[in-house]
Amino acid sequence: MATEKPKSDVQQGTLALMVLRTLDVLGPLHGYGLARRIEQISGNLLALNQGTLYPLLLKLEQEGSIVSEWGASENNRRARFYRLTRTGHKQLQEETRGWNQTAAIIGRFFDAKAEDFS
Amino acid sequence: MKFLRRLFTRLRNSATRQRNDERLREEMEQHLALETAENLRLGLTPAEARRQAILKFGPIQAIREDYHAEGRVLLIETVLQDLRFAFRMLARSPGFTAVAIVTLALGIGANAAIFSVVNAVLLRPLPYPQPAQLVVVPENRPQTALTGQGMSWPTFTELHDHSRSFSAVAGLAAHALTLTGRGEPSEVSTVSVTQDFFSLFGTSPLMGRVLLPEDGNRGAAPAVVLGENLWRSQFGADPSIIGKSITLDMRAFTVVGVMPAEFRTPFFAQTEQIWIPLVQDPLFSGWITHPQRPHWLPVLARLRPGISFAQARAEMETISAALARQSPDENGWRLGVEPLQQDIVGDMKAPLLILLGAVGFVLLIACANMANLLLTRATARQKEIAVRIALGANARRIARQLLTESLLLGVLGGVAGMLLAWWGVSSLSTLLPAELRQLHSIRLDAPVLLFALVLSLGASVVFGLAPVFFAAGSDPQNHLRESARSGEARGSQRARSVLAVIEVALAMVLLAGAGLLLRSFSRLTSVHPGFNPDNVVKAEVSLPQFQYPKPQQWTAFARDLMVRVQAQPGLQNAAIAAPLPIADNFVDLPFTVVGSPPSAPGTTNTAHYVAASPRYFAVMAIPLLRGRLFSVDDTPSTPPVALISQALAQRYFPHQDPLGKQLIFGFPPYGNTSREIVGVVSDIRDASLSTDPGPIMYVPFDQAPFWGGEVVVRSSLSPAVVTAAIRVQTHQIDKDLPVTDIESLPEAVHASVAAPRFRTLLLGLFSAIALVLSAIGIYGVIAFSVARRTREIGTRMALGASPSSILRLVIGESAKLVVLGLAVGIPAALLLTRYLSTLLFAVSPTDPLTFAAVAILLALVALAAAYLPARRAMRVDPMVALRCE
Repeated sequence: MATEKPKSDVQQGTLALMVLRTLDVLGPLHGYGLARRIEQISGNLLALNQGTLYPLLLKLEQEGSIVSEWGASENNRRARFYRLTRTGHKQLQEETRGWNQTAAIIGRFFDAKAEDFS
Repeated sequence: MKFLRRLFTRLRNSATRQRNDERLREEMEQHLALETAENLRLGLTPAEARRQAILKFGPIQAIREDYHAEGRVLLIETVLQDLRFAFRMLARSPGFTAVAIVTLALGIGANAAIFSVVNAVLLRPLPYPQPAQLVVVPENRPQTALTGQGMSWPTFTELHDHSRSFSAVAGLAAHALTLTGRGEPSEVSTVSVTQDFFSLFGTSPLMGRVLLPEDGNRGAAPAVVLGENLWRSQFGADPSIIGKSITLDMRAFTVVGVMPAEFRTPFFAQTEQIWIPLVQDPLFSGWITHPQRPHWLPVLARLRPGISFAQARAEMETISAALARQSPDENGWRLGVEPLQQDIVGDMKAPLLILLGAVGFVLLIACANMANLLLTRATARQKEIAVRIALGANARRIARQLLTESLLLGVLGGVAGMLLAWWGVSSLSTLLPAELRQLHSIRLDAPVLLFALVLSLGASVVFGLAPVFFAAGSDPQNHLRESARSGEARGSQRARSVLAVIEVALAMVLLAGAGLLLRSFSRLTSVHPGFNPDNVVKAEVSLPQFQYPKPQQWTAFARDLMVRVQAQPGLQNAAIAAPLPIADNFVDLPFTVVGSPPSAPGTTNTAHYVAASPRYFAVMAIPLLRGRLFSVDDTPSTPPVALISQALAQRYFPHQDPLGKQLIFGFPPYGNTSREIVGVVSDIRDASLSTDPGPIMYVPFDQAPFWGGEVVVRSSLSPAVVTAAIRVQTHQIDKDLPVTDIESLPEAVHASVAAPRFRTLLLGLFSAIALVLSAIGIYGVIAFSVARRTREIGTRMALGASPSSILRLVIGESAKLVVLGLAVGIPAALLLTRYLSTLLFAVSPTDPLTFAAVAILLALVALAAAYLPARRAMRVDPMVALRCE
């Protein structure tokens, strides 16, 4: 643990996007699987209390972005599987566009040189 | 839309909360089981596998609570929760809470009280329509440094008829007239005004009408407008007063209107007053036609819209130049234009701003003290906070809780401060110099409340941030592992010391200022005025001009009254004179020395003028230096004589004998009387205690009488007996004569230093508060440091340190704070006290004695504050101290 790089905190609102995108790419997953995948994809650079995932899932479901249904996990335990809905899909597309736009804008600022402003 | 959706979600959540919570708990437990299984597969022991899973998962309870917080319908609930908790925390340590609230209340109360005066006097516009257009038009005489004088009547007429800068120009003069026919004769303060006076202000009357230009025509029926307060007190608020007749100076005036109580006359603001046309005034109407052009009439004007001060001043220059060409009497006089507000505020501005600065310092000290207290408390609570962080509270939540606590303290302190200010304002208004109190109503109004609210919230955020800053940066593990006592953050101890040093420095500045004012005030009140006011009582008797129009009658009355009063047992030492030193305004008149070359135009010599009966000098204990005093044989039919003061003799008759020389001077109507100097009396301070004695000329009252005067009696009898005798004797001559302005002379002298006493008292009070607060600050730092070092002190004592060396250790620590504080405070005070220099009498703003005295006082108080904890340190039992951890 001690040798790890400093982890960055999860910015507000980004965790939801990560969840939606993971479900979009990998299809239905249960909570534990989702947590593991997010950890993997972020390359262990994220300081995430895995617990915070569950209130978020509940919230996303209430907002209609995802639905859950009971299923069996790999080791045949009963688990709740989450799946992206059409609304969630649309929301993901919107937010992806928004993020790309923001990233592009910020990118321009990083690339900016003094002469660009003269 | 988003908001609506969220609200809807929250509403639904609150309905299904129970079910959702159950589901969350279930899913979380399942997650932990899976993670534990995974860890077991990696080869961990079952216990460790479970522990690692929980660590990774994060604080379960906090996450669930967070979810619930999100699920609440109203966010206010968490605020209420914070508030409830803050109340509980404050109630649990009543000592701390009391000190904190009192500290804040002192800081905020003092600020609100002073701000209410500043707001009323400096900020709030004058209570007239379009007050910014109102100006004073004084006549100044640059050559003789005479400024702010009244105007001569011809100049006023010229200005009134021809100026293009002003939409209205009005002159006003005030004195007291005698109201008779309604029981005991009384004096009413009367403002005699020219035709445009009421249209200048534009204030509507409460009843009836104001004085119109026609009322100011010669030969018009005498009309009077009553002030609301007088109408209530003297006429029982008679609703049918309009059209009735009242008797002023034995002459009938018709009441045409009543002005509301809020309408106060600039320069002559009295709570009860009346207004009459100047042409109907028994005294001033005579001055209009005076051949000598005395400069007596104060003039107000309203600028035409769009005319700037510069334009108006330029026009005044032109008018002055034209007038000087017409009449040599006007030569050297220049008209000026000053904003009315500035003219009224005058010399109160500097002292008020200084007081505002001083209370600002008090507030800073209070804030430093609060920050100190809260830091100490936060340090003591670090363990509690660490537990809360470990249980999953995030830093923002804790910061919010700490800020809620300090805001709550701020609001409580603010409320207590407003109560203090409310009480303070009522006592401030009675202390305030009379002219300000009468024109401005000082009260805690909306701007003052807003000011106090901003102060208390601002202050609580500022001092509340200090502990938040230190709490947020701390690592909970350290605090849990170590004992709170030894594990205190170094930074916060340093911060507390810095705060204590700042407090000492600020207190030093305030104390230096207060010390200087106090020393100045004691010098001022111990100055010898040149006369002895003790056991002297004065009372004013004035003769109505319509009934007593001739100076011969005035002389006869004065002689008669003196004979009667002096015949009473114990009242032999009685005299009549006008004006009295300090109690009355001085009269400054030009004079020329017979036989000396004529002075250049515009460079007239002037001296103060006093008419006095023979025993005046004995009553006032003014010694005769040369020649003789007046006697009863100096009458209107004997050669005119005069006495001069030593200053006049030295300035105008250097190396000469003034006795036998002639001076030409006089009060109208004796303008150009040549008088022989028969004696020289010693100097007196007649303008004020702080003004050096100037030249004075005295004339026998009988030879140049006024329409009444001040009766002065030196007597060992009680003032009540003396004034009763004066009243009885006056009424035996004429039962309708009012006897007013009864005062003992020491009272009058006391009243003349009201303004310096006011500011000395206030600054003294503020610096006393500062002293106490900074003592509390030092006490807090040292007490906490001793508590923290109990173990170290115990060890020292176990190793053989003597109690006195422990005492030295602790006192040394506080001495360091004090020395640092003084090292900052003394130079700061030296820089700042120069702003006091105009308020100081016979004391330098860097008076070394004062500085040394207050520095020593501050050091002693600070060391005394440190002594209590030091004594506790000396009594530490090494065995207990070592075992306690």
